[in-house]
Amino acid sequence: MKKITVQYGVDSITKQVESGFTFGDLQDSDSIKAALGFGDNTKALVEGIEQDRRTVIPDGATVRLETAANTKA
Amino acid sequence: MEHTEIIIRDNGTLTERIIRERDLAAEGDVLEAMTADVTRTIRNAMPIPGWGMAHANVGLTDTLWSVPIDRIPLKARFRVINGVLVPMFASMTDLEMPMVWQAPKDVRLVFVVRTEVSEGCVVVGGNWLFAFNKDNNGYRLPLPNLHDECTLCTGQFESSYASAQAGVSASLEQFNQSKWNSDLMTTVAESQKFFRFRPTNETFTTLPIEAADWTTLCAKVSTAILDRAIL
Repeated sequence: MKKITVQYGVDSITKQVESGFTFGDLQDSDSIKAALGFGDNTKALVEGIEQDRRTVIPDGATVRLETAANTKA
Repeated sequence: MEHTEIIIRDNGTLTERIIRERDLAAEGDVLEAMTADVTRTIRNAMPIPGWGMAHANVGLTDTLWSVPIDRIPLKARFRVINGVLVPMFASMTDLEMPMVWQAPKDVRLVFVVRTEVSEGCVVVGGNWLFAFNKDNNGYRLPLPNLHDECTLCTGQFESSYASAQAGVSASLEQFNQSKWNSDLMTTVAESQKFFRFRPTNETFTTLPIEAADWTTLCAKVSTAILDRAIL
């Protein structure tokens, strides 16, 4: 297990997750979505750098989620 | 400059430590790199006729102008349903009307314009429309022509201006004149609970939002641009 902090807007939560928990797992997590109010279209950043969905989140990391741009249908 | 210190370690060992200092010629570049993301806020930077004051958030390469607004011009197609006039953005047959929606006090709207200076001109690099609640969380309104991160789809638009004031004013004029169509529309149900009007004899009155908490009709948003918006 490891502890991560997730920020979305002015809200944030700190959560214990499995050691193999990736940025993609975070972006798809229904419980964290419900807690912070983000949708399906996000990008994950650490220290301002966008992270790959497949990358495992380091223990103690603070992840900032941002709304990603969509394209015109 | 160099100097030597003799220190005693915890285990009693005497150690010589030589410290050398020299000034680096790259301080400008280093400082610029270290402050690349630092911005400065200037409130009431300039007036925008017809809208109010614009606040500035000045970055290294761009300036973000925030204009708190109290209304949204809605030039769109509308229909009366159960005595209430509501938008029908995807309709091709309903009557097109130039409505103006007055925002309630708890919906704090900010129109944002990003400008950069290029070859002596001020270039408009984008327009955003955000709604903030009392907790300063930002939301995307249930409107079409608005991307998920609240960039406005403005259509054809002249981007170069002689001044930032001209660029911001032109952006708001485009916002004022644009027709809202069904591009980027998700569902009209939220729009029809949000943007409601009561027809009276000669005019229309904005009705309250049909929800106890207006944010339930919107999508919460978090972006770097939103973080720089000034209420």
